[in-house]
Amino acid sequence: MLALTIDHVTKRYGRHVVADDLTFAVAPGRVTCFLGPNGAGKSTTMKILLDLARADHGSATIGGTRYRDLANPARAVGVVLEPNAFHPARSGRNHLRILADGAGIDHDRIARVLDGVGLTYAADRSVGGYSLGMRQRLGLAAALLGDPGVLVLDEPGNGLDPQGIRWLRELLRERAAAGGTVFVSSHLLAEVEQLADDVVVINAGRLVATGELAALQQAGTTVRTPEPDRLTTVLRTAGATVRAGREGELVVQGPSIDEVGDRACAARIALHELAPRAGSLEELFLGWTSPGEAAAGGVPAATDPSTDREPVLL
Amino acid sequence: MTSLALVRAEGRKLTSTKLPWAFLAVLVGVAGLDAAVVAFGTDMGGSKAFLATAADQQSLMAFAFNAMIGTALFGATAAAREYGHATVVPTFLISPRRHRAVLAQLAAVLAAGAILALVGQGLVVAGVAVALPSTQYGFLVPVADLTRILAASALAGGAGAVLGAGLGAVIRNVGGAVTGVVLLLFVLPPLAAQLLPDAAPWIPTGLFAALSGTGSEVRPWAALLAVTVWALVPAGAGLLAVHRRDVV
Repeated sequence: MLALTIDHVTKRYGRHVVADDLTFAVAPGRVTCFLGPNGAGKSTTMKILLDLARADHGSATIGGTRYRDLANPARAVGVVLEPNAFHPARSGRNHLRILADGAGIDHDRIARVLDGVGLTYAADRSVGGYSLGMRQRLGLAAALLGDPGVLVLDEPGNGLDPQGIRWLRELLRERAAAGGTVFVSSHLLAEVEQLADDVVVINAGRLVATGELAALQQAGTTVRTPEPDRLTTVLRTAGATVRAGREGELVVQGPSIDEVGDRACAARIALHELAPRAGSLEELFLGWTSPGEAAAGGVPAATDPSTDREPVLL
Repeated sequence: MTSLALVRAEGRKLTSTKLPWAFLAVLVGVAGLDAAVVAFGTDMGGSKAFLATAADQQSLMAFAFNAMIGTALFGATAAAREYGHATVVPTFLISPRRHRAVLAQLAAVLAAGAILALVGQGLVVAGVAVALPSTQYGFLVPVADLTRILAASALAGGAGAVLGAGLGAVIRNVGGAVTGVVLLLFVLPPLAAQLLPDAAPWIPTGLFAALSGTGSEVRPWAALLAVTVWALVPAGAGLLAVHRRDVV
């Protein structure tokens, strides 16, 4: 039962800030999806967590311990990072043998994980002849080799066929249900909606939202009014994030639905609709990560993401 | 995970691709070439006087400098391809204290380099021994000198592989690492010897001549120390680079 904690992590490459004072936690027993546009800093954050990159400031720990201080990290944490981290002339089975040798894992596990990921039939072929999906399966086999309690997976669904995606979803849900910690980055938002208990969203290295996905999807209000510009000004003055929806409605994030109604009433603005919003993840994601949102900086955190499951929009 | 487990994993990395077999094939070719020189080669006068003495035969068979070059290329390729194929990522995940992973790799390539060089030297000796009966000369090199050139080649093989692996870890690209080996062992030493004549005995050709007993400008223990420095400086640079760098 190891929680992952990213605590005020900042990372720069030259003048480019890849992670900007990131703070969030990933709870055990849940599937947490890590979202952000390309170049947002997801892979770098994962690499900092795994001690493959050094943070300029802050710390990243697994169960309160830095990765490099774990007694046997390959047994504690299963990782998929690079989709092509294999020697093309080496067989899949030999790749796993090397990892098992290094981590002191019994070779009996190799046949079991190969069977588990459905790759036994190709285990003795050179990896150079594998499809992307087969490489992902081999990467997952490597991650599961030490039967770890924590999984850190960077885009594990890339290249998998629909059956593979379903298998992966079931595997990750099983792991979380058994008390494991599952931290997965993905661009497949439809898949994330089916998989995630929690999400962490970053944009340009900054945390923009974190919390329970179901709550985040409710975390907004749809408003229809004949005076959208005036209402937008009123609400933004009060610190709300306001954007136009697809059908001319306003999407308000930050204040509660009651507060939106009260402020409209106080400003004598007529409302034709005031409803809680259950947005699609794609819509929410685009809202969180559009350049305007990132530049605006959002609203202050409502709760501490490391201690509370309440959604946080930043 | 123990250091021995990491060395075992590194050893399996080397043996689970065709890299050692490719180098072994080259060694067989070199031995065949030496045998052909003995069987068919002559000196300027058309005679085989270059085989007339034990010292001549020992010089012909001494393989240490060639072994160092060959195993340096082997070590450079073995280390640099780890970065090229990103297989260094799972290695550092198993051993986040990266110096341990690098030391395990150095140990594995040292052993593999020494074995390859020893096999290469053995093949060269065997090739010459097989070809000599076709000439008027017998095999004249005494066992003690034979042992010395075998030992020198094993040392050269180990040192070369460590040197190459160090460069591979610094450069992280197979082409660049191979170029680095060629520059360090082929191009720079003769230049240094021309610019600084006092340095000539301390370049690898001179050092291995001293260790193989085919040259005597440097005492064997001093040559041994100097060869160790030649290997450890790039290896140390590799260790430092891996320790300081992010894995991206």
